[in-house]
Amino acid sequence: MPGLLLVPDYDLATRSASGFILRWISPRMAPIQLYSILDRRLPFRLSAPQSDIIIGVGHGGPDVLAGQNSGVILKVGQYNPKEIEGKVIKLLACQTGVTLGPDLIDNGAECYMGYVDDYVWIVDEDVIGTPWNDALAIPCLEPVVDGINALLDGQTAEEAFNLELKGYSEYAQVEENLLIRACINFNMKNAVLLGNKEAVVKQRPSIVFPIGPPPFPKFF
Amino acid sequence: MMAKITNTTLLVRRCIIDSEKWAQLRKTLAKPPSSKSMKEAAEAFRKYRGEQIRLGQNSKPTLVTLGYGTGYPNAVPLDKIPEELERNPEFYELMKRVVAEG
Repeated sequence: MPGLLLVPDYDLATRSASGFILRWISPRMAPIQLYSILDRRLPFRLSAPQSDIIIGVGHGGPDVLAGQNSGVILKVGQYNPKEIEGKVIKLLACQTGVTLGPDLIDNGAECYMGYVDDYVWIVDEDVIGTPWNDALAIPCLEPVVDGINALLDGQTAEEAFNLELKGYSEYAQVEENLLIRACINFNMKNAVLLGNKEAVVKQRPSIVFPIGPPPFPKFF
Repeated sequence: MMAKITNTTLLVRRCIIDSEKWAQLRKTLAKPPSSKSMKEAAEAFRKYRGEQIRLGQNSKPTLVTLGYGTGYPNAVPLDKIPEELERNPEFYELMKRVVAEG
């Protein structure tokens, strides 16, 4: 069963977050990847029912996940439960854990991992063409990548979630920059796991490319 | 006799200065938003950030969030944070949650 990856890239925040996912998760998730302009409602509606896991990056609010150019992907009361039934869902977006996450579980999602407040981090604009090399973003985004990789290795949702929390905790202990440390602690505090904690997805082969994807074009 | 200045000395000094300015910023941000507290927070952030630049931590760092339809920008360069803190109560509330309560 394929997995579904949502990776918008239209502003600084989505480029940075999607960059890490493209570099470290994407090679394991072929073939369904809604990247950039494909990250819209219709392609999602068509491909979501076939997937066992949905990994979504995007701007989010308490009841909504947005895709490319802020187009709505999932909104409470505006999606078909068949799109998410039985899926393991990880959303790297702000505040979706407030209403959308519980709603996904109520409508049959196996489990949901996300955040109940904003997801904040520091990005170095100098390296936004290759965001996976951004040393300022690594302390926040690497734990997310590690958690998702654990899921794709066949670990349970709870194990993957705990690995993400452990990553934050370890980075928070060694981070010298106090603002970055505050962001790490804030994201760690707001991470939530809802639904079946023992949920697992089909194990994917561990593929890591020696070099990253081509740099993002500069269009903003 | 002058003490020898090593990288460790500089690092410790930087951490102490950072901590003092950071503590001041946290204290300021703990207050509810008002024009006075927002101005104070902006000034406290300028001082914190100023120390970092003076001590060599310089690139193009930008605070980003994945918020949707929020009353503040999704990307604010660290240099512009004081201005945003001073004029935008919603951004002040976000920084309060991250810095003072985080």
